[in-house]
Amino acid sequence: MLSYILKRLLLLVLTLWIVLTVTFLLTNVVPGNVAVMILGTRSNPETLAALEQRLGLNDPLPVQYVRWLGKTVSGRWGDSLRFDQPIGALVRQKLVTSSVLVVMALIIAVVASIPLGVIAARRQNRWQDTATSGVALVGISLPDFFWGILFILVFSRWLRWLPSSGSVDPGQDLVQSLRHALLPALALGVGLMAHLTRMTRSAMLETLSKDYVRVSRAKGLAERKVTYKHALRNAVGPVLTVAGLQLGYLFGGVIVVESLFNYTGLGWLTYQALLNRDVPLIQASVLVIAAIFMLSNLIVDLLYRALDPRIEYG
Amino acid sequence: MKRRTFIKRGLLASGSVLVLGDLEGTRVLAQDASGTPKQGGTLTWGHSETTQNLDIHQTGTASTLRLLQNVHEPLLTIDDHFHVQPNLAASWERSQDWLTYTFHLRNDVVFHNGKKLTAADVKYSFERIKDPKTSAVSFDVFEDVAAIDAVDDHTVRVTMSKVYSPFEARITYLNCAIIPQGSGDTQGKQPIGAGAFEFVQREFGNFTRLKRFDNYFRGPAYLDEIVEREVTEATVRLTGVQTGQMTLINDIPLDRIAQVEKSPNLQVKTWHPLSWAFLNFNHKVPPFDDPDVRKAFDLMIDKQALVQGALWGQGVPTPTPSFPNSPYRNNDLEVRKQDLNQAKALLQKAGVRPASLSIKFKVTTNYPWHVQAAQIMQAWFQQAGVNVSLEQLTWSDWLSQVWKDKNFSLTMVNFFTLWEPDFLYYNIWHTGGSFNFRNISDATLDGYLDQARQSTSEDQRVTLYREAQQRIFDQAHDVILWYRNGSLAAVPALRGIDTIVQPNGSNLAFWRTWLAT
Repeated sequence: MLSYILKRLLLLVLTLWIVLTVTFLLTNVVPGNVAVMILGTRSNPETLAALEQRLGLNDPLPVQYVRWLGKTVSGRWGDSLRFDQPIGALVRQKLVTSSVLVVMALIIAVVASIPLGVIAARRQNRWQDTATSGVALVGISLPDFFWGILFILVFSRWLRWLPSSGSVDPGQDLVQSLRHALLPALALGVGLMAHLTRMTRSAMLETLSKDYVRVSRAKGLAERKVTYKHALRNAVGPVLTVAGLQLGYLFGGVIVVESLFNYTGLGWLTYQALLNRDVPLIQASVLVIAAIFMLSNLIVDLLYRALDPRIEYG
Repeated sequence: MKRRTFIKRGLLASGSVLVLGDLEGTRVLAQDASGTPKQGGTLTWGHSETTQNLDIHQTGTASTLRLLQNVHEPLLTIDDHFHVQPNLAASWERSQDWLTYTFHLRNDVVFHNGKKLTAADVKYSFERIKDPKTSAVSFDVFEDVAAIDAVDDHTVRVTMSKVYSPFEARITYLNCAIIPQGSGDTQGKQPIGAGAFEFVQREFGNFTRLKRFDNYFRGPAYLDEIVEREVTEATVRLTGVQTGQMTLINDIPLDRIAQVEKSPNLQVKTWHPLSWAFLNFNHKVPPFDDPDVRKAFDLMIDKQALVQGALWGQGVPTPTPSFPNSPYRNNDLEVRKQDLNQAKALLQKAGVRPASLSIKFKVTTNYPWHVQAAQIMQAWFQQAGVNVSLEQLTWSDWLSQVWKDKNFSLTMVNFFTLWEPDFLYYNIWHTGGSFNFRNISDATLDGYLDQARQSTSEDQRVTLYREAQQRIFDQAHDVILWYRNGSLAAVPALRGIDTIVQPNGSNLAFWRTWLAT
């Protein structure tokens, strides 16, 4: 077990290095640089050259690469070139903001999808099943920004229950932080909820047809107990695994929703860094997103074994 | 069907409203006129753009200046007619030879750090802007400054090496604001000025919080706090003010202004110009090195229809970029009317077969209305037989390819706040101008502009700048397209909406606004 974890961690470091090197090369190959963005249409050749020199953009690429690698490994990420803010603090702050959104989206998706999937399975081929499957199909088919616009219209514009934009640091005001995260979390969670509902339904259908379920029923156990105590417990494992794996995807996929709701989290920051050719900030954001993705994969793999002792690690 | 007719019919058919009414004005709710200003409350401002580096000397973006207008004060300022007025300096004198300026500072100005304004602060600020290491956007203002001396605690003398007649006007720009001595290194993250509001906190990309500065030299503001929320998505911003989540927003989406103006629950202010836009030719790329070809392109454009189609009527065509109320504006100029036959004749005169032209029009997606304008103009160019393809670029790519590398044939861009004629015409149209990305080199025009910046006669400067505008128009160095309107929408409780927009058309100040309960 320990050697498996060590192996996976080593692989994680290697993968991160490859991801970052590719990111570094790509961001340096594309035209444009951050100095041009900083000065905008108030620049002239002299101020531009001075700023490029100050930012170290004139150094050869290998020199920039080695300097960047050294800084990254030692954790000295420096300042964002475009925004003149310490990258470490910036990424940390935005990571916390995005975490509220992503975790809330995941909770909404899991809490809603499991009961819906169970109902659909128990009422197979009846109207409840058709309705749930139809809703799930709509949820999967429509993009998250559509749900975002719809939720803003309904909950913010018409009902005026929730703010339509912005984010609040949970450390400063947890309630406001959650209120601001709710609509984007709903928009982000709908697709995942639909996906998990379909998964729960099929896992439940498979489990409910197993012999031990039939035996339980034959022994006279109440249907509720058969469904929730025996069948669901066995069916929910793969569903939770997929949900866990989605955590990484959600962090990488929040860009659209965060931009729509002006929810200034990690996705928003990455988008801004890309637009502004802020290479160190792009690299830091990609590093964090990639690390979250890989770590969540690793944790899910380990938890899977805890849930199902039959699984062996090589 | 003509493209113009098509555009108009298309807009009408889609249920859109073409706004042909008053292009400048305020629709204030009836109760706004009543009541006595009262202190207190927080103004939540839904700002259309993200603010950047907060160092007032370094920041070049209109968005950051819009916010920092509330934090900083320049030595001199301007009135609505662009006449230079005292500000932190209570008075000043200019020597007969225009080589020495002596500024007498007010003695009641206090910075947000509690220190009183002295001549040392002015000397420090001006020297910091002049220092190339600062990368200050207004460094060129001080190029001809030989010395800055603190004569005594409240007197500063600026000595020029040669006459630079726009000096007084140029130092009214907020980029030349006075900051406390020694505060330069921290201004980017913690701006300290002498303005009506002091900086409290900023979460980058999310919000900036300012609070009332009770020792403001003009008297304290009414509002307790300003929370500037950066909401770049226009519809979300509009929803914010409609739901009362925000007190005020700037830049109402262009296609929604007509609808918002009818809303009984919002106040709306529109004005022009917020900015002006122009079509640009690369003068080193044939056939745009020929004035007849450039003029032909000008004649292909119906500017009024362009304003309707791209700006939803939220602007007016203009033949010159000088502000409408500027004394330097050449009011004799008239926008060229669309005339495709004359355009074709000019191309023929220049020896250019329209069908032989294949031109790439680079346009930035940073301004969506520029993309729409480019699409409309593309149709007109094609009607004249010229094959024009569009290339849409991100702002970063546009700045790199067009602004920096000058790698383009045809493009368009806009500018904010350039009301001062030397800053405007010298930088954009002089052969050596910092913003001359079109490779324009016109000795006659250069002569006007060189002479104007060294002229000590106001009448002569007015004449020279009007001549310069005539020359730019006659040579069709660029095609000036429009002034775009600015707009604000506010909840009914906000009073004093008419005091917010500053003479430069872009900056917003909240010193005289207040909230009625």
